Amino acid sequence: MNEGYLTDKVLRAGDALADEVEVFCTRNRSVSAGIKKGILGTAEESESWSMTIRTIKDGRIGFSSTGDPDRWRECLDAALASGRIATAQEWGGLPVPDAAMCSAPSADLDLVVGIENAAGMVEDLLAGAAEHPVDVVGGGADLGRSHRELANTNGVAYSMERTIAAVSLEAIREQSTGYEFDASPFIDEISPRAVGEAAASLAFRSLGGGRVDTGRYDVILSPIAAASLIGNILIPALSGRNVKAGRSFLADKLGDQVFDETLKIYDDPFRPGPGSTAWDGDGVPTELQVFVDRGVLERFAYDLRTAYRYGEESTGSAVREGAGEPGIGVHNLFIDGLRRSDMGYGQAISVHSVVGAHTANPFSGDFSVEISNPFWIEDGEAIRPLRTAMLAGNVFEMLRDIEGFGTDDRRIGRLTLPSIRLNNQQIIGKQ
Amino acid sequence: MTEARYYDIRCVRGEATLIDIDNGVVESAGTSFFDRTVVRVLGPKGWGILTRDHVDIDSKRQIGALVEAATRLAVATHDLVDLADAPRDLLPVPPLAEDPREIDLEEKTRLLAGIESAARIPEVANTRARYTEGIDQVRFLDSGGNEFSYEAVRSGFSVLAIASRNGVMQMGSERDHITTGFNLRDKQDLGRKAGEVAVSLLDAKLAKGGAMRAVLDPELAGVFTHEAVGHASEGDLVREGASVLAGKIGERIGREGLVIVDDPSLHEFGFIPVDAEGVGVRRTEIIRDGILTSFLHNRETLAAVGDGVPGHARAEHGAPPIVRMSNTFIENGDATYDEIMAECKDGILLIGSRGGQVDPGRGVFQFNAEYGYLIEGGEATDMVRDVSLSGEILSTLHDIALIGDDRRMSPGYCGKGGQTVPVSDGAPHLLLEGATIGGRGE
Repeated sequence: MNEGYLTDKVLRAGDALADEVEVFCTRNRSVSAGIKKGILGTAEESESWSMTIRTIKDGRIGFSSTGDPDRWRECLDAALASGRIATAQEWGGLPVPDAAMCSAPSADLDLVVGIENAAGMVEDLLAGAAEHPVDVVGGGADLGRSHRELANTNGVAYSMERTIAAVSLEAIREQSTGYEFDASPFIDEISPRAVGEAAASLAFRSLGGGRVDTGRYDVILSPIAAASLIGNILIPALSGRNVKAGRSFLADKLGDQVFDETLKIYDDPFRPGPGSTAWDGDGVPTELQVFVDRGVLERFAYDLRTAYRYGEESTGSAVREGAGEPGIGVHNLFIDGLRRSDMGYGQAISVHSVVGAHTANPFSGDFSVEISNPFWIEDGEAIRPLRTAMLAGNVFEMLRDIEGFGTDDRRIGRLTLPSIRLNNQQIIGKQ
Repeated sequence: MTEARYYDIRCVRGEATLIDIDNGVVESAGTSFFDRTVVRVLGPKGWGILTRDHVDIDSKRQIGALVEAATRLAVATHDLVDLADAPRDLLPVPPLAEDPREIDLEEKTRLLAGIESAARIPEVANTRARYTEGIDQVRFLDSGGNEFSYEAVRSGFSVLAIASRNGVMQMGSERDHITTGFNLRDKQDLGRKAGEVAVSLLDAKLAKGGAMRAVLDPELAGVFTHEAVGHASEGDLVREGASVLAGKIGERIGREGLVIVDDPSLHEFGFIPVDAEGVGVRRTEIIRDGILTSFLHNRETLAAVGDGVPGHARAEHGAPPIVRMSNTFIENGDATYDEIMAECKDGILLIGSRGGQVDPGRGVFQFNAEYGYLIEGGEATDMVRDVSLSGEILSTLHDIALIGDDRRMSPGYCGKGGQTVPVSDGAPHLLLEGATIGGRGE
């Protein structure tokens, strides 16, 4: 189908009925090869298309979406109806075209969305896993390409491509499990074989884990463990909407030394990553945003509607997922700080991942989670696996007192970060 | 040309309505439309699966082409799949007490605003309420000539209150979702409760971590059931070797008298009239009198594993069916709430849930309470906040000391394999011995 033609039709029809209209279309094609019982079990191919419409009339924002191009009129009517109910707000207009608009590294031209390619990646995953005596219980490879198009009645008409290559593998040996994954827009950046090997190694090395007594220990969070706690708690606290609504712990702390004085947190939409983009979900040009520098809170993330409402500037932080309304998010968030080469000095417990990070209290920052694949570390060496324990703490307090960052930076979804050492943390052992 | 051994097509077309009110501001209120179809083909070995938008399920030509394309995909697979025979029947969908489609968006917004504003009591800094309504028109057909269609209507809301004092922020949240009609009327009480819980948590202590006796309320005990037993009994995890319950049918894994059930036919939030493979649904007793009795199956896992009941295949719109829970619960025992509190004597009473997660292969699960109270001498005393529990699947069910007589179901959503489906969980009050509490209090 011709998206450009349909978009023009919706913009023209909507222009007569609202002050401004915006149309966002995505077209995706993806394939996925799934592992069942250690071999290739399912082969999937998916195509999807969606159109989301926003209308603005007298400061009231309406929204609707559809997966059926033939229902565009119904979708436009639904957006207008929704706008009649929304509360009116300060509104300074949708963006106008930016002549200097460039592009960001979001797509791999060489990535082929073919089931044979995904099947080849599964073979590599399994070959990696075969290096250790474990059973493979799941995982697979995904390849996808999507085309995104944003247009509005002010003349903006941007389009971009995104690609994704992702692999994962889950291994087990008796009651010891190991899970590893990797994803990138660029297929050459991921190594299915290394991912398979790492998952199998985790399951194998964690076998026969011992117990640990309740108490305070130094803890080394892997990038995965750190990302799941930070992603659930810190990222929402940086959202300007949460700040203005009174549900961010960081709300009244702009300019304050909130975190460890080496900590830097920034969003770089021009670095290669799954969120790379030159324009945000509102059509605002993106730029590097430093949220925390040397532990000082520098700014919050805003989309257009929140910025207009509260007299702030958009930071180009609107993100769109699927056919939903754009909301405040991050593109490629980086966490950096003082690196140490001796992260495992003395005695510590290393934590590969956590179970239950989504149950953390996003407002207070408090969490208590089960830890996965923990090891007892002495002088940098993993001496013995631990079977089970809980880690309890507070993310905002943790980020105030960081012992050091590793040199093992890793991309976990839209977050890139190294491992983090935190001393004197609360571990709850089992009876 | 390779022949398809079997195919099925599931088409879900419908509308989703969302209203979001944040601190009294109607942020959005609107309806979106979707129309997704999944075509599955069993080739010589395993599954080829295609997902498309707005397929005309009545067009033989279109269906034929999609089945052919899915068959080509299936050729890439190596894992030999067989399908067990399973009963075919379609339950009647419960009648709607009030059809949400007959109520206009203005009225829904007004009713939601009433719930949201009820949460705004002194010291509450933020209130937010969301209404979600889904109308799904489901059509299913397979190569065996089975054909079903039904309509599912879901309506419900969540309300969140955040209380704030001297830099301390605490939350209270309530939700209610049903499949039997429109669900926004006369619910201001839940808004007020969210506000009251948030404010009282401002004075709550941090729980101290360690092993202790715990009393779980029906909502939390439901999440416990879902995480501790439900997932590990899913036939796909058992087949893949990813569940500690594999090979344990007929073994005692819990105390005498313990009965754990998954029942998709109940008119709770996880109700389905027929499963996503066109298989009739029925009550499945996972555990009977403490003995592991049945796994939850789809046709594929029943053929591969046995020892269980099919009819547990479910799918999100535009995603292939996988084995899922629906309405999962512990049956009533005979202890009263007062007996449970008295027997606990010293421990912790835990209420509500912010969810949980399980590693079924390792046999370890975690789940989180919204708040709780210390129990001293059989009486609930000081309020505590941010309490998680963790446990081991194979031992935890032996640690249930008392089972209450007051089962209640709570609606929620469950994520697995990237898909989210509506479920409900429930149990009566439970007394757990030696529960591992993850608090950070000293």
